[in-house]
Amino acid sequence: MIELLDVEKKYGTKVAVCKLNLNIRAGELFAFLGPNGAGKTTTIKMICGLLFPTAGTVRVGGFDMKQSGDEARKLISYVPDQPFLYEKLTGREFLQFTADLYAMEPDHARRRMETVIELFHLHDFADTLTERYSHGMRQRTVFAAALLHEPKLLIADEPTVGLDPKSIRELKVLLRNLAKGGTTVFLSTHTLDIAEELADRVGVIHDGELIACDTVEGLRRKADTDGTLEDVFMKITDEAAGGSDGGARLAEATA
Amino acid sequence: MTAIDQATVFRRLRRTLAVNGLRAMFETSRLRLYTMIGTSALVAAFVFGLAAFGFLELFGSRIPAKGLIVAGLFDLMFFTLGTMLLFSTGIILYASLFASPEARFLLATPARADRIFAMKFQDAVLFSSWGFVVLGMPVLVAYGLTAGVPAYYYPLLPLFLFGFVLLPGSVSAIACLLFLRYMPRSRKQVIAVAGAILLALLAYWIARTTSASRAALLENNRDALESFIGQFKLARNPLAPSHWMTNGLMEAARGETVRGVLLPLALLWSNGLLAYLLAALAARRLYRTAFDRSAGGGGRAKRYRGNLLDRAMEWLVFYLDRPTRVLVVKDFRTFRRDPAQWAILVIFAALMLLGVRNFNLFSSADIQGIDRYIIGFVNLAGISVLLCAGLSRFIFPLISLEGRKFWILGLMPVSRRQILVGKFAFAATGAILIGLTLVVGSELLLGLPIEGVLVHALTIVTVALGLSGLNVGLGAYLPNFRETDPSKIVVGFSGTVNMVTGLGFVLAVVAMMALPMHVAATLRHFKTLDFSAFPWWVYLGLPLGVVLGAVATLLPLRAGARSLERVEF
Repeated sequence: MIELLDVEKKYGTKVAVCKLNLNIRAGELFAFLGPNGAGKTTTIKMICGLLFPTAGTVRVGGFDMKQSGDEARKLISYVPDQPFLYEKLTGREFLQFTADLYAMEPDHARRRMETVIELFHLHDFADTLTERYSHGMRQRTVFAAALLHEPKLLIADEPTVGLDPKSIRELKVLLRNLAKGGTTVFLSTHTLDIAEELADRVGVIHDGELIACDTVEGLRRKADTDGTLEDVFMKITDEAAGGSDGGARLAEATA
Repeated sequence: MTAIDQATVFRRLRRTLAVNGLRAMFETSRLRLYTMIGTSALVAAFVFGLAAFGFLELFGSRIPAKGLIVAGLFDLMFFTLGTMLLFSTGIILYASLFASPEARFLLATPARADRIFAMKFQDAVLFSSWGFVVLGMPVLVAYGLTAGVPAYYYPLLPLFLFGFVLLPGSVSAIACLLFLRYMPRSRKQVIAVAGAILLALLAYWIARTTSASRAALLENNRDALESFIGQFKLARNPLAPSHWMTNGLMEAARGETVRGVLLPLALLWSNGLLAYLLAALAARRLYRTAFDRSAGGGGRAKRYRGNLLDRAMEWLVFYLDRPTRVLVVKDFRTFRRDPAQWAILVIFAALMLLGVRNFNLFSSADIQGIDRYIIGFVNLAGISVLLCAGLSRFIFPLISLEGRKFWILGLMPVSRRQILVGKFAFAATGAILIGLTLVVGSELLLGLPIEGVLVHALTIVTVALGLSGLNVGLGAYLPNFRETDPSKIVVGFSGTVNMVTGLGFVLAVVAMMALPMHVAATLRHFKTLDFSAFPWWVYLGLPLGVVLGAVATLLPLRAGARSLERVEF
C-alpha cells in the first residue's frame, strides 16, 4: 500500500529525511516511532502528498504521489496531531462536507454518517458548532470524518492525545479492527505501549534515517534485550546517536 | 443520486459557513455586527459627504477643464484602489493558501488544487474589496448625484466594480503563486530589496507630485494643472484598467454612446476573467509544489537576543520594581518581534507627517491660517482614534492571552496586581511616546502656536493614559481565556465593548480639552470674536478632561485587578 523508495527531503540545507526505504503492505498496522524532530511528520506529510520528496519516490496504492496525487489521496485519510475543523460547521455538516469531498453516493454517505456518529458517540454534539467542542470531541469528530469514506490507508499522527482512557481503549480496538478488515494503518506516536500492543511492525526513525524496522520481537532481538518497547527504543536511538545510555545520562543530569 | 462535483461541494461549504456565521453572530455578537455595519455606514456617509461637497464646489467654481479634473481624480482613485487590492489580495491569499490549517487539511484530501484556490481567491477578493465598496462607491454615487447623471449610471456601478476587482486580484494571485513556487532560498532578502526599491520609487514620485501640485496651486493655469495631472500618467494610460473604469463610468455619466460604456466594461470583464482563468491554471499546476516549497524553504532560523530597545524600554519604566520591569520588557519584546503589529503604526505616522509637510508647503502659498487649526484638530482626533484602535488591538487581549500559560506568571514571585501594573506601564509608555511624537511633531511642522501645541500635548497624554487604563482594566475585567487568537478576542463581545467605550472616551476628552480652542480660532477667523490671546474659557475643559482621564485610568484598573485576583486558572 505504501512504498517509499530512496526518499530524501531537505529543508534548505537541513536534511529532514535521508534515503528512506519502506514498504508497508495492505492491512498492516505500522507504528512509526522516533524522537522529536526525527522526521516522522515530514515522512507522513510526504505520504499524504502535502510535501514532495527532494529525491526518491512515494507511492500509495500504486499511485505516484507527485504524478497522480489526487487519485492516491482518494484512498487516504490523514488525522494530524492538531486536527482541523471548520468552526462554523456542526459536526454533522463537517461529515457531510467530507462525504461530498470524497464523492460518496448520497445514500451511502447518509448510512455511513449514522454509522460513524454511532461509533464515535457523537450524538450529543453532532448538531452543535464545532467551535464549542472540547479537544476530545474534536478528535472523535475528526476520526469519524477520516473513516467516513472507508479509506484504504489511515494515517494518524499522535491520535491518542487529549482522549480519555475509555476513548483510547475504543480507539485501539478500532485501529486493530480496521487493520483486520484490510485497511492499512500508519500510526505515528510517542506512546510506546500502544505501539507495542497494536503494531504488526515498528519503524524507528532517527535524524531522518530509518534505523530499525521490524516486529517488536524482531527489534528486541536486534537490540539484544528482553525489555519493553521503551527499553528497545532507548537502546536503538542511543546507539544511533553514538552515545552511551541516554537514560543514565538524564538521571545523572537530574540527580 | 450521484455524487456532486467539487465546485458544488465548495459552494455549499461557503454558503453553510456564511449562514452559520451570520446566525452565530446574531445570537452571540449582535453588538459587534451592528458596530461593524454602523462604522462602515458612518465611514461611507463621511466619504459621500466629503465627495459631494468637493464635486459641488468644483462644479460651482470657474476652474477650467472640470471634466479633465474629475477624470484625473477617478483615474487616480481607481489606480490607488486597484494597487491596494493588488497587495491586500496577495497578502490574504498567501495567508489562506500557504499558512492556514485549512489549507493543510484540504491539501491532504482529494480536493483539486484549483478548486481550493478558487474558494480562497473568492474569499480574498470579497474581503479585500470592502474598502472599494465603503470608499469608492460613495464617491461615485456622490458624483452621480451632483453631476445629474442618467439613471442607468447607478446599476452600472456594481457591474464595473466587480469586473475591476477581478483583475488586480488575479494578478496578485499569479504573482503570489509564482513567487512561492520559484522564490530563491533567500526570500527575505529579496523581499527587503524589492520593498526598498518600491519605497524609493514612491518617494521619488511623491516628491515630483508635491512639486507639481504646488505649482498648480500657485500658478492656477491649465498648463500647470496638466503638468500636475501628468504625474498620474500611469493611472491614465489607455492600457491601465483604472482608465477603462474611468472611461466607462464617465461615458455612462454623460449618457452619450452605448458603445462608449460597454467597450470599457467588456474590456474589464474579459481581461479580469482571463486573468482569473490564468490564475486558476497556475494554481492547478503550481499550488501544491509552491506549498511544498513554502513549507520546506527558508533559511537558517534567526537567533533572537535582547537589544538596545529592550534596555530603553526597561529604562523608561525605571519607577517600577524589578520583577514588574521584567514583565514589561517581555511584553515589549513580543510586540517588537511581530512586524505586523507595529508596521501599520509606522506607515500611518509616515503618511501623516508627509501630509502635514505638504500642507505646510501649500499654506505658505495662499491657504489661510485657520486651516492650520482645522488640520491640527483633525490630526489630534486622528491620532487619538489611531491610539484607540492600536491599544484595542494589541493591549486589550494581553491578559486573555496569558490565560493558557498563566501558570508561568502564577509561579513567579509577582502579584497579579503587579502583572496588571506592568501591562498598564507598557501600554501607557508606548501610547504616550507614539502619541506625543506624532502630535507635537506634526504640529511643529504645521507651525501651530505654542498654546495649541501644549493643549494638544496634554490632550494626547490624557487620551493615552485613559485608553491604557481602559484597555488593561477591561481586558482583565472581561477576559476570554479560551481564545488563543488575539484578533478573535478583539472582535468578540468584550473587545467590542472596549472599543466602543474607548471611542466614547476619546470623543469626550478631545471635545472637552481641544475643541474650545479651535472654536475660538474659528470665531476669530470669521470676526465673531476678537482677541490677541485666547480667552480663559478655552482652557476650562482641560482640568475636566484630566479628571475624566484619571477616572478612565483608575476605575477600570481597579475593577480589572479585583477581577483578576478572583480568577482561578
